[in-house]
Amino acid sequence: MSPRKLRDKYAIVGAGYTTQGRIPDRSALSFYVEACVNAIKDAGLSKEDIDGLICYRQFQPVANDVVVTPYLLAQHLGIQPKILSQESYCARGQFLHAISLIEAGFCNYVLIVYGDNALSGKRSFPEGATNSEPADDNAAFGEFSRAAQFAMAARRAMYEFRTGAETWKEIAVSQRKWANLNPIAMMYDKPMTYEDYFKADWVVEPFRLYDCCLISDGGRACIVTSTERARDLRNPVVSIMGIGEHNASVDIHQSDFMAGPTGANIAGKMAFDMADITVRDIDACEIYDCFTYTVEITLQDYGFFGPGEGEDWFKDGRTAPGGTMPVNTSGGLLSESYFMGLTPITEGVMQLMGRCGERQLGSKTGTKEPEIILCSDNGAVFQSHATLILRRS
Amino acid sequence: MAYEKPLPKPNADTRPFWEGCQKSQLRFQKCRHCDHIRWPPSVICPKCHSSDTGWIVASGKGMIYSYVVYHVAFHPAFENDLPYVTAVVNLTEGPYILTNIVGCDPSVLKCDMPVEVVWDDGSQNSACPSSNQSTAPPFQARLEKRK
Repeated sequence: MSPRKLRDKYAIVGAGYTTQGRIPDRSALSFYVEACVNAIKDAGLSKEDIDGLICYRQFQPVANDVVVTPYLLAQHLGIQPKILSQESYCARGQFLHAISLIEAGFCNYVLIVYGDNALSGKRSFPEGATNSEPADDNAAFGEFSRAAQFAMAARRAMYEFRTGAETWKEIAVSQRKWANLNPIAMMYDKPMTYEDYFKADWVVEPFRLYDCCLISDGGRACIVTSTERARDLRNPVVSIMGIGEHNASVDIHQSDFMAGPTGANIAGKMAFDMADITVRDIDACEIYDCFTYTVEITLQDYGFFGPGEGEDWFKDGRTAPGGTMPVNTSGGLLSESYFMGLTPITEGVMQLMGRCGERQLGSKTGTKEPEIILCSDNGAVFQSHATLILRRS
Repeated sequence: MAYEKPLPKPNADTRPFWEGCQKSQLRFQKCRHCDHIRWPPSVICPKCHSSDTGWIVASGKGMIYSYVVYHVAFHPAFENDLPYVTAVVNLTEGPYILTNIVGCDPSVLKCDMPVEVVWDDGSQNSACPSSNQSTAPPFQARLEKRK
């Protein structure tokens, strides 16, 4: 299927940020509310305009919070949207869902949001690690954490093609350089050298500490509407040129294709086909980076380089400030903050709107003025993948 | 000393597997229609959607498909085991299963290394608490001598 008729028909019109980092004494709900209100304000809309509300995955509450449901959030926003939705286990269909609702005529403005007090609330990922009742039998073997599961995939990749710390150190260090230009990044004032990368402790080998993303307090939201409506709003228009989705679904512990191709391969083809462009047309990337390796395998599966060519491709700051293919220009999940796919996607939107201050792509950072930015989102352990190609109209 | 690690919690689908472990058997479902040997257990074959299902006992031999080395204990009961290894083993019969690799230095492990199941009485190994509880089978790497 090629939804080429939908190319550039929908747009992202507002980005909602909150205070972020380590912010004690805040409920998860408070970050959801703040992010939503700021997205509505940023788009220049009123709350009554919002007729769809889609939340990223529901987590069990920490720190005596209540469970954040779309009902609760709508109540606190004082809205009664036509559609409420929330995924429960990381399937990343939020933007495809929003577009479909608008295309079908059910909604006009769909608000997409995620928030958490994960850092102050000491959330562990996944929760099975610290719950008294682990959720699955993997715990009997001492198998815990997303880090271990992605590391399992990365280890197989190291066996099948040339990858490992020499590739990942480039990703970690380049993204840190972007974060050092971003005052709201959790790692803004913490430069990182290759030596720092290698000196950090193992978490689950082959991953060291700086291969792993941050855990953050805060929230992030954005609003999807038609490009036609976006033209009447206050921000520069950033349209969705292409979108793709794939759900490989297989649990990593039973996967016989651990080293890829991941869902990025099929979702990417769908998005590029819809946009009717190739990777050569991409000016920058905002890639879901739960781990350094995730960035490598995603770009590899999108076709930026062949299996095992990443080590050379990432070298010499290609993806860092001043590089020819900037990647994760906010610092990403590794060095800015963790708000699921909304960290990379809102950064893509903000870059194309030209609102990124010192880290703004273009002459300020010695990079190409961006017109087209490729964004990705990834759910569970390579089980769900979403690709968004954004364009400045 | 009490066993403090999490135990498998057999349910309607997984009970035959864990009961097999108590008898030192790795039991898997085999589709009688298409011969696919499946894991995890299910009422219907994911390949052909037949519900006609039999059981086999696997040889316990396989290869390490991938593995990781824990340097951090996400659960306090595993602290004394650090560094320890979890692995996905591809059994000769087909299934990919999560397990531990025990009895060798993690630094000698490689993907596609042959391994074989070892059944433990609980006296030394992490994942086998006692004979009357469902236990988790660890695998031991077979380190073949070079000729």
